Amino acid sequence: MYHKFVPVIGYGNIRSGSELILKIFLLTLPIMNNQDPKKTIELLKQGDKKTLEKIYMENREGFINFSKKYNIEEYDAVDIYQDSILVLRENAINGKIDDLQSNLSTYLFAIGKYKIFHNFRVQSKFDFESDFDLVEENLDFDVNLYESNLTKEQRFLKKYYHELGDRCKSVLDLFYYQGYNLDEIKDILNYSNKKVLKSQKSRCIKQLKNLLNKHYEKF
Amino acid sequence: MKNFDLIDRYFDSSLTPKEQLLFNDLLQNDLDFKNEFVFRKDLKKVIAVNQQEVLKSTLGQFEEKIQQSSKFMILPKKWFVAASIILVASLGAYSIKSIYYPSNQAVFETFYQPCRNTIQPTVRGDNPNTIEYRAFVAYEAHNYHKAINLFNSVKNADEAYINFYKGLSYLELDKIKEAIEILLPIAKANGLEGKSANFNDKAAWYLALAYLKNNDKEKSKSELSLITQKPKGTYKKEEAQELLGHLK
Repeated sequence: MYHKFVPVIGYGNIRSGSELILKIFLLTLPIMNNQDPKKTIELLKQGDKKTLEKIYMENREGFINFSKKYNIEEYDAVDIYQDSILVLRENAINGKIDDLQSNLSTYLFAIGKYKIFHNFRVQSKFDFESDFDLVEENLDFDVNLYESNLTKEQRFLKKYYHELGDRCKSVLDLFYYQGYNLDEIKDILNYSNKKVLKSQKSRCIKQLKNLLNKHYEKF
Repeated sequence: MKNFDLIDRYFDSSLTPKEQLLFNDLLQNDLDFKNEFVFRKDLKKVIAVNQQEVLKSTLGQFEEKIQQSSKFMILPKKWFVAASIILVASLGAYSIKSIYYPSNQAVFETFYQPCRNTIQPTVRGDNPNTIEYRAFVAYEAHNYHKAINLFNSVKNADEAYINFYKGLSYLELDKIKEAIEILLPIAKANGLEGKSANFNDKAAWYLALAYLKNNDKEKSKSELSLITQKPKGTYKKEEAQELLGHLK
């Protein structure tokens, strides 16, 4: 299956007669460079910017070259690529790729291909099928979490959430988005004990409700 | 209030079966509990949307970085390694192939490099947002169809430097006849000035390559020998000499 993912590593545009030999040779490069995927996935969950940038940069060109085969303009390809990274992170956070067998680039590419296939109604499903198994098994596509999908209440909530202090936002983000429990958050944010953290979290929620109350009767 | 803990335990999936029953019961029968559940569920969603937006804007920054600096500069180190290996390997492959008469196409591939945009630095900040500027942005982004359309719509569409990049865009799109039609007059033009100065030397080189790609070896050779007769320091003079050697 690996030969299909040559574009993953960005050598899709080699224009030489000995393309095949080169590609086989180049496939060894990422193996040499591979760091522990579990560690990468953990950093991805934490939203580590360096890790994100590395993933983004390493796969971007390959993905755009791949999209060109389906006559997708670079502008659209970048859009699909970015959405695929969003899905990748979402799935990392939801623990869906904790036991990922293939490498992360392969998985990211599979998401992108899936999106191309669905968004652009590409004819030849043939190219994609083996990847879809990988994707459908481990993927939640219900991550269309754009602002337009929010209810009126949720939009208010979002507005006032921004007015919270950084400390509150960190606690709530770690708890409600990244799925850490209070013991873990205590260590991450250096709280002296869990009780202090717990009452901090309650205060943050209360503060948010107060902000809302001023403007919105329901809460 | 104590019961609200159940909600958070529900979110991190740590409810015991017994607690799950209590949770279900409260959700149906206790309005406060239900409201609190809806609130926290909304909060969870809102935070997720917020995080998505933050990530999206981070990705936007990466993308901007790519657009800003020349693509070459920001490639990670291992790509340089890859690039040099490709270079060495393709030189190796080339010398093996050249024993068996390389095709014109292969020779073209070896010598052809897209011409960098030296006219309009497409750097963010002083963004004039003129048609010409957008044309060069499209050219740099390898969006050659768009570039050609925009080059056709600029005010000074007849200027040599505009035509030059339009010609190169056609060349990139494998529309060689159009490319030759455009590049030929620039290569033969005399006394180009201002922004268009130097472009006839550049056009001559790419014209030679375009002929080659079109399998018109003789015309390519005569164009190349014209370049080799020009003074030292002429654009791609040495490469022209080398390429001429391969074609003989």
